This record gives sequence, C-alpha cells and structure tokens, in this order.
Amino acid sequence: MAETLVLLKHRDVPGIENIDIYEQHGGYAGLKKALAMERDAVINEIKTSGLRGRGGAGFPAWIKWSGIPKDTKKPHYVLCNADEGEPGTFKDRELMLKLPHMVIEGMIIAAYATQSAKGYIYIRGEFVESARSIRRAIDQAYKKGYLGKSICGKEGFDFDLYIHMGAGSYECGEESALMSSLMGERGQPRLKFPHAPLPIHEGVWQSPTLINNVETYAAASQILAHGGAWYATMGTENSKGTKIISVSGHVKKPGNYEVELGYPVLDMIELAGGVTGGKLKAVIPGGSSVPIIPAELCKDFKLDYDAHQVVQYSMRTMRLPVVGSGGFMVFNDKTDIVVLMRRTAEFYTHESCGKCTPCREGTRWIFKILSRITTGGGLPGDIDLLVNICDQIDGRSYCGLGDAAAWPIMGAIKHFRHEFEYWIEHKRSPVGEDCLPPAPEPLNPLLTLTPV
Amino acid sequence: MSEQAGYVPVVGAVAEPQPAPEKSYRFSEQAIQELEEILTHYPDKKSAILPALWIAQREYDGYLPPQAIQEVADRLERPFVEVEGVATFYTMYNLRKRGRHHLEVCTCLTCAVMGAYEVVHHLEKRLGVKVGQTTSDGEFTLSEVECLNYCGAATVVQVGDKYFGNITKENVDELIETLRNSNEFTPADLANAIVRLHIPERTAKK
Amino acid sequence: MADVPMVNIKINGIALQAPQGEKVIEAARRINVDIPFFCYHPRLTMENGANCRMCLVEVATPRKNPDGSVVMAKMPKPQTACSLPVSEGMEVWTETEQVIADRRGVLEFLLINHPLDCPICDRGGECPLQNNTIHYGPPTSRFIEEKRHFPKAYPLSEYVVFDRERCIHCARCTRFTQDISGDAQLDFLFRGADMEVGTFAHTRFSSRFSGNVIELCPVGALLSRTYRFKARPWDLMTQKSICTQCSNGCNIKIDHRVSQLQRVNARVNEAVNEEWTCDRGKFGMDYVSSPDRITTPLVKRDGEFQPVTWDEINTLIIDRLQEAGAKVGGIGGTRSSNEDLYVWQKFFRQTLRVNNLDHRMGPHFRPTNSGLYARFGYHSMNNAIADLEKMKTILVFGSNLVDEQPIIYLRVRKAWRAKGAGIVEAVPRSMKTGEEANHVGEFASVRLYYRPGTEVALLHGLLNVMLYENLLSAERLGEIKNLSIVQNAVKSWAPEIAAKECGVEADAIRRAARLLATDQMAILAGETVTQHPYSEDILNALGNLAILTGNPGNINVPVTENNQQGAMDMGILPDVLPGYVGLDQPGLNTKQMLQGAVSGEIEALWISGVDLVNRFYDRDLARRALEACSFVVVTEHTLTETAQLADVVLPTQSVAERDGTFTNVERRVQRFFKAFEISPEIHPEWLIFSQLAMRMGGTAPYFSARDILREIAASVPIYQACTPRDLGDQGVRWHYPAANHTADLVGVEYRAPAAVSA
Ligand SMILES: Cc1cc2nc3c(=O)[nH]c(=O)nc-3n(C[C@H](O)[C@H](O)[C@H](O)COP(=O)(O)O)c2cc1C
Ligand code: SF4
Ligand code: FES
Repeated sequence: MAETLVLLKHRDVPGIENIDIYEQHGGYAGLKKALAMERDAVINEIKTSGLRGRGGAGFPAWIKWSGIPKDTKKPHYVLCNADEGEPGTFKDRELMLKLPHMVIEGMIIAAYATQSAKGYIYIRGEFVESARSIRRAIDQAYKKGYLGKSICGKEGFDFDLYIHMGAGSYECGEESALMSSLMGERGQPRLKFPHAPLPIHEGVWQSPTLINNVETYAAASQILAHGGAWYATMGTENSKGTKIISVSGHVKKPGNYEVELGYPVLDMIELAGGVTGGKLKAVIPGGSSVPIIPAELCKDFKLDYDAHQVVQYSMRTMRLPVVGSGGFMVFNDKTDIVVLMRRTAEFYTHESCGKCTPCREGTRWIFKILSRITTGGGLPGDIDLLVNICDQIDGRSYCGLGDAAAWPIMGAIKHFRHEFEYWIEHKRSPVGEDCLPPAPEPLNPLLTLTPV
Repeated sequence: MSEQAGYVPVVGAVAEPQPAPEKSYRFSEQAIQELEEILTHYPDKKSAILPALWIAQREYDGYLPPQAIQEVADRLERPFVEVEGVATFYTMYNLRKRGRHHLEVCTCLTCAVMGAYEVVHHLEKRLGVKVGQTTSDGEFTLSEVECLNYCGAATVVQVGDKYFGNITKENVDELIETLRNSNEFTPADLANAIVRLHIPERTAKK
Repeated sequence: MADVPMVNIKINGIALQAPQGEKVIEAARRINVDIPFFCYHPRLTMENGANCRMCLVEVATPRKNPDGSVVMAKMPKPQTACSLPVSEGMEVWTETEQVIADRRGVLEFLLINHPLDCPICDRGGECPLQNNTIHYGPPTSRFIEEKRHFPKAYPLSEYVVFDRERCIHCARCTRFTQDISGDAQLDFLFRGADMEVGTFAHTRFSSRFSGNVIELCPVGALLSRTYRFKARPWDLMTQKSICTQCSNGCNIKIDHRVSQLQRVNARVNEAVNEEWTCDRGKFGMDYVSSPDRITTPLVKRDGEFQPVTWDEINTLIIDRLQEAGAKVGGIGGTRSSNEDLYVWQKFFRQTLRVNNLDHRMGPHFRPTNSGLYARFGYHSMNNAIADLEKMKTILVFGSNLVDEQPIIYLRVRKAWRAKGAGIVEAVPRSMKTGEEANHVGEFASVRLYYRPGTEVALLHGLLNVMLYENLLSAERLGEIKNLSIVQNAVKSWAPEIAAKECGVEADAIRRAARLLATDQMAILAGETVTQHPYSEDILNALGNLAILTGNPGNINVPVTENNQQGAMDMGILPDVLPGYVGLDQPGLNTKQMLQGAVSGEIEALWISGVDLVNRFYDRDLARRALEACSFVVVTEHTLTETAQLADVVLPTQSVAERDGTFTNVERRVQRFFKAFEISPEIHPEWLIFSQLAMRMGGTAPYFSARDILREIAASVPIYQACTPRDLGDQGVRWHYPAANHTADLVGVEYRAPAAVSA
C-alpha cells in the first residue's frame, strides 16, 4: 500500500514554506472557507471529519473545540503543542520546517472557532530550524493579513500568534506542564479534571484554553479546505484520516510517511524500504512510551487508535496504545532489548519532572536495576521486581509521564522475558558482543545525563 | 578538563549559608528592548521568565551565572530562587560555562541503536574528555542528550543552533575539524537564535 | 457556610453530606476515616500539592447512560483524596486491597532514598513518615542500589538546618514561603530525581517566619538549629503557653525537659495566629532558660549585689517604702501577667495609697493618651485580628508592619491573597523597601512613600479626592453633622498639591482614594504615628477618614508590647483604675515620676520587668532618675542595665514558670500555664506584692493566679467573661463598652514638618 498524502502532499514543492507558493497550492483556502462559515459550522466540520488529537492520546478534537465557552468575559487562548519530545517522533519538526503555513492556518481556524484573540506555539528549544521557519511564516502571514486585526477583512476577528520557545524538557509536552512552562514556571504538570477545571474552562492564565498538537492543527486546515466528510472517507471507523508516521532505526529509508490510519505495521516497514542489517526483531510503533511489538506479532497490528496491547498486572488488566505519537522504530535482530530498555528508562528518569513520588523515585529505581542487569549484576527476582515497580508507578503518578515510563518496560518483559533472564543468568547480552557498546559513565552518579 | 566558572552545586559540607553574589547588570540596550517586546506577548511578567533567561544566556556568554539569574529576576520582579528553580529545571540553560562549541550527542533510542555510543566513545578519546567535561583549550564540551527528535537521521549531534545528522564515528572527525575552524554554532549563538525567534519582524531592529 | 450547597457522598459505604468543593480527605476526616498524607495541608494551596500520592483512594461517580439510567462508574485510576473535590453521588473506598497496595508502593518509593537515620533524627518519634510507615508501609524494602547522598545538616539560616537526604519533596516548605509568608525564599531546584529544595545560590534563608517550615516538614529534613540533638520528642513535656515577644499573643506550646525550655512550637488558634509563629517568638523565648537568670533576691551593699532571703528583703522594702510615704512610684509591667498587675496596682493604691503608676515609655504616652479614646471610645486595636480578612481594603499607615506585628502582617497578606483585599501602604520614605519581598509593599496595590512629617497632607489629599470625586456615599455624608470642617480643611489639598508636598505621585493618591472609599476598610497605624510629634493630628485625620468612609470602628493603633493591653486594662496608668474607671486625683506619669526622682519629689521607685534605661525614650533622664532616687526596686529575670542601678533586685518567674493570663493586642485574654520551675526562690510578682501588702496592711493573701483572676472577673466589668473556666484554650475578647461609632469630625490643620526632618 502506498502513502496517502494529505498534509505532506506538497512537502517537496520548492519554496512551499513561503506564503505565495503555499497559496498557489491551495494554501489558506481552508481559512477563507472557515471565515465564511459560522463558528459552530467550523466545529461541526471537524466533528464530521472524526479528527482525533495527533499528540498521542487520540482525543477527539471537536470535543475540545466545542467545549470552549461561548462567552468571552475572559480571553481565550489557542496553544499549539510543538514540544515534540517523544523519542522516535519527528513529524512535527518536519511539518513546521516545510509546511509552517499549514500549521498556522490550522491555528487561525481554531482561533476563529473558539473566539480566541491570542495564540502561542510552544516549540521545544532544540528546534531552532523549524522555529525559524514558523517565525518567517508568521511574519509573512501578518503582512498578508492572515494574522493581526480583522483577519481577511473579517470585522472583529483579531488574532495574534506568538512563539514561545522551550528550553529542554520532555515533560513540557504534557499539556498542563506546557501551560506551566508558558507561564514562566518550572515545567511541572498542574492538577487535572476532576481535581481542577478542564483547560477548556481554566487553562493557561486561568482562561479557557484550546491545546492541540502541530499535526492536529495542520489536519484541521486541510479538513476545512476539503471538507470533513472527505477527510472521514480515509482511515477506519474510529480512526479517521491520515497520520504521519516517523520511521527510524534499522530501515533502509527512514523518514516521515503519511498513511491512512489502519495501516498494517508490516507494510509500514516495507514502505520504509525494509529492515537493514539483519532480520526484523521488534518494532516500537508509536514512540518510546508504547510497548514494543516482537516481529512475530507485527502481522496482527494495524496503526489505528483501536489497536492496543493487553498487559496483565497482578490486580489489573491494561490496554496499552499502539499508535501513540507515531514514532515508529524498527529494530533488527542485533538489538539487545534489555539494553534498549535501560536507555528508555534513562530517558524517563532524566525527564521526570520530580513532582510526584512514584515517577520521581520509581523511574530512577527502574533505571538503576536495568543498569545493574546490563552490567552483569542482575539477580534472580529482578524481573518480578521490575514488573511490580512498573505496576506501582502506572496510574499512580501525577501525569502521564509515569505511565509512559512504565509501559515500555512492562511490554518488553512481556515479550522478551527470556532476554532479561539471559542477562541475569549469563551476565552478558543474548545477542552477542556487537549489540551496543556500554554507555559512558556519568560524571555525577546522581545526574544521569549532562551535568550542570 | 578545565575548571569552569558558573553555578557551583554544593557537594561538600558547608558551615554557613553563602553570601549573596554581588549584582552586576549586563543586559545591553538591545536586550532590554527585546525583553520589552517579549513582555507585550504575555498578560504578566512572570511568563517572560523563559525568554528572559534566553536573553540572559546570550548576554552572559552562553551560560547563566547567579548574577544572570538575579538580573532576570529583578527585571521581571520575581523572587530570585523562583527564577533559579526555572533555570535549573530546563536542560538547555547552561549553569556553567560551556566550551566554544557544545557537542550534544543524542544517545536516545534510535540513535543508541544506530551507533551513538560509538560516536560518544570516539569523541571522548579524540577530545580527551569525558561526557560532561570541557576540553582544556575551552574549545569543546561533550554532552549526551535525550532524543533530539530527528531520529530519521540518527545519529544526531546538536551544536549551537544547528543539528548535524547521520553522524558516525567515521565522519565525526570531519565535524570536529569544521567546528574548530568555525565561529558559528556557539552556545551564545543558540541563545541568540532563540531570542530572535520570539521577536516578530514588524518590531525587530536591524 | 450556609450558602454552600451540600452533596451526598459515601465513604467506605458510610453515607454523609459534605459541602460542595470540600476535599475527600477532609470529608473523610470528619467521619474519622483515616487517609494518610504527607503533602496535604489545609492552609497551603493545592496547585503545587497532591504530589506525594500517599492519599490515593478508589473513587466511583454516577454516570448517566443514554437511556437515562444511572450507573456507578469507577475511575480507572486511583485518585488523590487531598485534591479531589466531593461531588453528588460520589463513592470513595479507602481500604480496598488496591488502595493498601498503593500506599505500600508509595511508601516504598519514599523510603528508597530516605537515609533511615531515625535514631539520630530530631523528628524521630513525631515523624509522619515513620508513623505512616508503621501503619501502611511495607515491612521490608527491595531496594538494594545505592541511596542518594548529601552532606548532612546544610545550614539554611541561623535557625534552620536542612538535611537534603531526608527530604521527600512534598513542597510544604516551598509552598509556605510562597503562599503564607510571601518571601518566596525556598523553591525546588533541578528536576526529577535530582530535585532538591534550596535558597537562591545557597544564600541565607532570611525569612522572618522561617521557623514554621520546621513544623511543616513531614520528615526530619528541616530542623531547628537551636533544638537539634537536644532531646527526643517523647522525653519532652509540653505545656500550653503564650508567646511573650510581642503584643500579638501567639498561642504556643513550650516543650521542656529537666526544667529547661527546649523548643517552642505553635499552637492552633484560628483567631490569633492560626498555626504560625514568627522567628522572634519561636527562637526568642530561650531567655526563659538563660543561665543569667537571677535566682534569689539581691540587695546592693557597698556597690555589690548580695543574695539575701525573702524575709530579710521584705523587711527592708517595707522599711524603705514606709520612709518614702507617698513619694513612691511604679513603672513598667508590660511583661507581667494581668494577675501580677492587678495585685501590683492594688498594693500601690490600697496599701501605699498612691496613684503613681505607669507603663508607657514613649514621649506622648500613647495609646491611652491619644484623643482616640475620647472620640471613639477605644484605643489601640478595635478590630479583631481575624476581622482583617473580611475587609475589602486595608490601609497600612506609617507602620513597618512585618516587624511591628508579624502575625498581623500574615493576616493582611492572607486578606490580600486568599480574599482579594486591596492593600494601601503609606509609610515614610525611610521605610521604603523597594523590591524586597516579605513586606507589605510586595503586594500592596498602591504604595505611598511620603516625606516624613507630611502625613496629614497626605490624608487631606486622600479626602480631597474622595469628597471632590464623589467617591463617598451621599447618604452618609448627608447624615454627618459638621462636614464643612473637613471640607474646608481639605479643599486646598487637591491631589497634585498633596502629592507635591508629600513627594508621592498624584495618581497614586487618586488610586489609593478609590480603594479606600469603601465601607469595609480598616486602618492599621504603626509606631511612626504614635511617636510622631504631631501624632494627635494624624490620628484625628485618620479618624475623619474612617468616619467619612463609614468605618468609625476600624481604626487600629496596635499596642506593641507583650501585655501592654493588660497593663492598660489593669490600671497601670496614673489616671484610671482597672477597667478604665477614672480617678479623681491622678498620679504622676512615667516622665513626671522620673523628673520627680531627680528633683527629690519621688524617693522610692518600683520598676517592674522593664529595662527602663534602654526603653524610656529619654535615656539620660532615666539614668539620672535611677541614680538620684534613694530606693529603687527592680523585679527582673536578669541583671539588665536598669537592674544594675537598683538597690534591690527581685527575681521573678518567666512565662514558663507560672500560671496567668495576658491580654493581647485585640483584647483577647488568654491563659498560659506553668511548665516547669527553675528555683523555688523565684516568686511570681503577685506573690511578692501580696506578701508585702499582707505585712503592711493586713489584707487577705492570695494563693493562686486563678484566685486573682476570679477576683478580676468579679470586680472589673470589662473582664466579666474572663473567669478561668470561660477562657478555655482560645481565650475571650472583651469589648469596649463605650465604643462610639457616631463620633464627629474634627478639623485638622496641616503643620509642615520642621525643615530639619526632610
Ligand atoms: C509525558 C507526556 C509527554 C507528551 N508530549 C507531547 C508532545 O511532545 N507533543 C504533543 O503534541 N503532545 C504530547 N503529549 C500529549 C499532550 O498532553 C496532549 O495530549 C496533546 O498535546 C493534545 O493535543 P492533541 O489532542 O492534538 O493530541 C504528551 C503527553 C504526556 C503525558
Ligand atoms: S524539606 Fe520537608 S517540607 Fe520541604 S519538600 Fe522536603 S520533605 Fe517537604
Ligand atoms: S496528601 Fe494527597 S498527594 Fe500528598
């Protein structure tokens, strides 16, 4: 099966990041259509399209859009989550770099639908290149009257768009932490419903706030341009439309591929040119947070929001996502899953914000155990201990980062328990010497990565 | 490894609290104007802490000594420790001086399986420093970082405001040579680039 | 709370009603269901809380099906009871297998990096972490990796040390400095597993309220430097007491061991200090166990103090007092209990038959001497401390509030932060604090830093705006009799003119006037007003402001010393008996007595608990008087400079050694109790006076402070409700019987400050 290009259709058109060329290729048509409609009709179009959030959780976009209160006593804000930090994902980076106007157009449409006068793109600090592209695009859009006062001549519709750069924190991709960061605080999550009002009622600066992923806004612009019904013809019953999948790892042609939702996992590998350096061993289909799928099970999985893996805990049964943010990582048979999980655990240890106990202490403990195992210090019982620690983190933490740290470990133990056992018993890698060289020793045993 | 100025975490025991660092304001005219522009973007001053720290990082040679934190706090009327808390939370704010080029090698999942550790080990040998240290000539600081989200081009190395993709232990020497002869991609460049990103064209000077 | 709707919920199957918005943990506590917690604290904001995850419970809420039927839907994840508001039909379970497992999990996580050095930890024995682990924790740990290490006892200030290893990152301390004290000197640094609490660049934690974090910390991470390693909590005995460091009368607990004060903790009294103390109180009470305490009566012979027995000394005193006849004076008493003071004045008035008694040390003999009493029927603080929370606007006038009244400062801050009150700070320029937090200026909506001496001009400017911008209720103005007096006085003080005279901005005067023109406005005047040469003018002008805005009962000129209010109430004044009953033949005031001593009109002086030389505004006069006076008795704890000049020094008991009552700044009479005894040779003051009175005049003796308090309640009408039983733990406020809320305006002319005081 081939790609279905909706968002990425014009990505290779030279100069598409400029407003004139973007307009020549149908750019801002969606916005103009939207401005000719009632606000509710715009939201209805999104509802018809069945668009679900592309940031990872797959929450239906229209519910958020229509939830913003109609009165405008307080200002409303539109936020774009461009903090793409999930390991394995690089779609937002490319969208912003090559098609900045599409993202902006989506945000303006959202602003119109939610009566917002201000919007912010929260871009992670490392994405300077992409942010430059967005900066240029915003400036161009102001000149052309797509931003600023009375947009496209529409009286009373003013919208200002600002860039807010992050400074190095994965947690700031979590929506409430993003708001903290936008308000100049440490990037720690905030209380959520039912403990506090929803962001659509009280988000950033205690005002109604709409927050979506870069790709979600980009898709919204195309939905308005071509109609929700058209968008809904793609994908599956519950997961409509297309999704950009970032393929990386041991494949011939890594990169971003846009496919209809419901695309089979094995075909995805084919599309990227097939596995390199050996046979397929496993796939992490949706960013580091989703559990790994071993080669022999790949045929059973399709990339849509219904797909899930079941993991059994002592007292609970969990259904874990497959698509996630669309970071599709392919691993050949020279990959040591235990070492890979050690690295995953290191990521979450380093990125845990420290606010809540299970995530702060649990992620570090997991990392320490996995480090011990992969340096030959594994003990019998470690595997059960790991499972149990994951169980104690999952669902207990303040925000989703704790869950996201526990899931991959649980998945890996479910499918590759024998590799963990091998490490513990033989103190060496089951895949031989050339798996992964040892990680550099941290200077400060507390700080797992870069010291201050 | 050279001793570097900057933020010193107290590792050993201390007898009494430290005296407050002496204040010294360093924001240039341009920096003050930029901060003023940025302040118009938000409903309150606190929200400008992140961009203001970026400005400070540029004005203070690519890192944030306590004086820089004080300056930001004073300009935004926030408590010092709150700003310090923010500055220490985010990894891209440098609390100590970095080398002229800061090599940030992504070693997260994809990069790790695509040979990032080999690159790191090679660089350690080549530069004669460990991860987290700066070469004695002050040229390079070597760091490991989490996913830079350009996994399609693993291994990725960020230097200043630029990503270098598809780095292997074979071609990394070339990168080092290029950087040695380059005045670009410094930590201050990165800070400057990020500051400029906040400034709309209509108000930007120059 | 009548207007808050109630909802029906069930906790562990027990049905109850709870006010909407109440947190599950609070509702559970009301029915004695125990939910363990660390980070939860009812006085701290939730936004940075809910982080320890100790209070996880299982919750179900009713959900409507499309067909209209209602089912209970269990939330997939356990919820934190400390932050979850109750809602109609909610069901909560706190003891399920899952919840028990969750608690074990959280505790295991908290303990993996905790040093478990409980045997040498000050908190051991009263540590929430220990207690919760015993009740809910796992019996063993599975953690075999290396724990995190930090140097022990990192000093944050001269009062507080920090053991970083023990911190469980509950954010109570950081939230305290942000939400309550406002100095925001503690915050989290770094992140994730490396996160730690710290001050900016390891500088001093200089909050005036730093001691509170020691009590708030649920582990032994923040410790008192003065108490560290001194005692185990279970070795301590605790007694209810009252802080003596200022007039606020904070409720405290004295923890003592082997007749020594070990530490001071706060005791909850919602009306007074809630549960806070300031550092002055918490760490300033160690004088009680000072090694310098005098433990026997001393008499000066050949320039040297020599110990003598009480019998000898009493004989001597009686001889000398009888010699002096009516030429006797008594000064001081602000540190004594009401009982001491009552017996003292009774001894003077009934046995010695003199009215020369005074406790006032300032040049103007404020507050009783101000026109406030004549005009409004009250002096000092008329509002209750807790009333400040109800105000829409608070005017802090000429007061360095955080130093003069630290706990009232916290209330004002709470009024602003939690209740949205507007604050106007008007202080002389010399008290301008600029950007410094921990000060009213930090959160005041309008700051007026005026040129010293121009207070009246400023108040005229404010009234000018109110009157000529029609900010005041016309109805009220219509009822006011002599409105023209004020109209004329302020007419020429347009804000621009006032601004120029005072050196503030005209716009600031306008904004302040707009805020102040509300009928829920309170004035807090401070020491610069009471000590001002023209303080009468300022108080009159403040009175006019209060009347015109409809707040005649809201002028507050807080007294500053420990039991200064009690000294006034008990008649330690030359012109009134206890309860402000006027005397036909007033005695001499402090200054007159001292002048009398110099000129020989006074031959004997009794100085009670005050270091007169250092406290009286005219140091030189005080010294000369004491040197000239032929017989000086000083009752004291230690040999102060004043005591050195005495002929006889009598040791007296401190607050920790006796029973009694103090009356605080808001006229709340509060009991304190004997904690320990240092020496049987140290007597309470009332006993000293009672014995002398008995020997001199054959009056009946007193046997306890309780007896005296009963007599006070019976004989002093304003203390009618203050019987030992009625006072209870939280004290009782008495009210001015003649508080006059229909006082008239008075004309005030502005007198420019002398050129020197610019
Ligand atoms: C730990 C964590 C990290 C996240 N990181 C990102 C991210 O980098 N980018 C993103 O768009 N959403 C991220 N999310 C999801 C956001 O919380 C949020 O669901 C999303 O921005 C909503 O947008 P959407 O509805 O368009 O998906 C993250 C969530 C968690 C729990
Ligand atoms: S020091 Fe104590 S109060 Fe502060 S965060 Fe740590 S455990 Fe909590
Ligand atoms: S008490 Fe509820 S999370 Fe700490």
